[in-house]
Amino acid sequence: MLVKKRARFAYLMILPSMVVITLLTLVPLLDGLIVSIQSQDLARPDPTRFVGLAHYSRALIEDEDFWSSLGRTLVWTVGSVVGAYCLALFLALLVNIDIQGRKFFRALFLLPWVVPEVSTALLWKWLYGDEFGILNFILKSLGMIDSPVLWLADPALAMPSVIAVQIWKLYPVMFIVLLAALQNVPKELHEAATIDGANSRQRFLYITLPFIRGTSVIITLLASIWSFQNFDIIYLLTGGGPAGATKVLATLMYQKAFWGSEMGYAAAIGVLMLVVLLLISIAYLFAYKVQKD
Amino acid sequence: MSLLQYPVLKKMRVVPLSGTYRRAFFLLMVYSLLLVATTVILFPIFWMASSSLKPSGELFARDLTMLPIHWTLENYQNVWVNTKFPIYFWNSFKVAALSTICSVLIAMYAAYAIARIEFVGRYTYGLVLLITQMFPHILLVIPLYLLIQRMSMLNSHFALFLAYTAFSLPFTVWLLRGFFEAIPAELEEAAEIDGASMLTTFHKIILPLAGPGLAAVTMFSFIRAWNEFLFALVFLSSRELFTMPIGLASFQEEFTFRWDLIMAGAGIITLPVLLLFLLMQRFIVQGLLGGALKG
Repeated sequence: MLVKKRARFAYLMILPSMVVITLLTLVPLLDGLIVSIQSQDLARPDPTRFVGLAHYSRALIEDEDFWSSLGRTLVWTVGSVVGAYCLALFLALLVNIDIQGRKFFRALFLLPWVVPEVSTALLWKWLYGDEFGILNFILKSLGMIDSPVLWLADPALAMPSVIAVQIWKLYPVMFIVLLAALQNVPKELHEAATIDGANSRQRFLYITLPFIRGTSVIITLLASIWSFQNFDIIYLLTGGGPAGATKVLATLMYQKAFWGSEMGYAAAIGVLMLVVLLLISIAYLFAYKVQKD
Repeated sequence: MSLLQYPVLKKMRVVPLSGTYRRAFFLLMVYSLLLVATTVILFPIFWMASSSLKPSGELFARDLTMLPIHWTLENYQNVWVNTKFPIYFWNSFKVAALSTICSVLIAMYAAYAIARIEFVGRYTYGLVLLITQMFPHILLVIPLYLLIQRMSMLNSHFALFLAYTAFSLPFTVWLLRGFFEAIPAELEEAAEIDGASMLTTFHKIILPLAGPGLAAVTMFSFIRAWNEFLFALVFLSSRELFTMPIGLASFQEEFTFRWDLIMAGAGIITLPVLLLFLLMQRFIVQGLLGGALKG
């Protein structure tokens, strides 16, 4: 009786959250699937018309933009996640050393995480500026370049330039999580290994790495999901340009939906993004399991 | 025995001496690496601050200087007086604060139920929350836009408020659950024996103890709503309703090449969250590690 009463109380407590999440996340999710097989045209008397898988075949077969944007999205995701992971691990290893002021450095290294995306994008745009950008100014003062580098306007450089910004924004969360994992490595293990004559490289490979492997897998997977769907940084820095050099699926979808008014097609791109993300996650976790066994 | 110990003793006599040198060298290395890393990583933030405090003549000069030659707050004043920035600021604050309050209020009950009460579907609901939290929000932008359009609520703060509340809920529940679980169960049992109802126990005993947790999730939720860009961009069309992120982004077209205004605006958006973060850093780090990612 008491158990039943407690359970009823529990349902009452989770009810409001359930209503909000159902109405504003789960139902729209299904709605997205439905929209992706419809043609949305508000000018017609029947604004929605069933078109079957037409949008999907358009994305996968006719529209070259889709595959090239997918390719760029993968470059962007892998580039920023690998870069951010290396930077985060390097900084976490540094801050994990028992020294004065490590808490201070830990706080400093987290700062980019709180800087709003819009500020991040605009301040990097200012750093990258060709005429009055500080980056070009420094390189010129050092005599490394003669004419300004067009960081964001040169199609060959635009992708690496936006990836650098994403690395800057992405690494702090990875850093703090890796640092926590590093602090769980028992000190005795390192001491014992040192006595046994292991050098620091061996200690890192055989003691530290196994301890942070699980955390690394989870955090890189999460970071991949975040980067894959990221819209703000690219939209604000290059808008997908120059000449489509940084056009990723997120900006393609936005463009189709809100400039081209092709809601149905954009929704199909969204669903395909979700499929790709699921495939990546499954492949990733599978590879991790195989490697572990 | 004594023979075996001898080499060890001999070693111990030598090692500490060279050890101190090695240690000093090692520390020097570590600190210089830390210094380089800090300089490189914080430079963009420094440059934003420095640029925003320079008169515009110094921003667009042949020779750029690291620090302003003439320190000035005129860029901030210009943004605040000559643009709609105060309206954007207020809009951002309103939407972020209301959605945060609402989502924390809803989330704390759900989190407590999941943390403490046995019920059918408890595990499943936790899983649903975890998945919705990881779910890429950009995929919701089209269906939510259409939904809001059908309800004729486009171009309103209420639409943004709904979206932000929904987005922060899963995360907030998930985080708070961790904080509630850390509170000893004996406290509730004692209160229950004394005849307090479950709701009273929760309000009078658990909530006050979960103060740091509530502070952390409030921060998180607020910062996320404050920074949010995409949904504000899609939902809002009239300038009077813009939040700061899209207001600032619109400066790019409205005031082309006015980097003095843009940097000061970026400073105004960034400063509150930066201060909040520095004040609450300990809780935030705890929260990040506690519920958010480890699950």
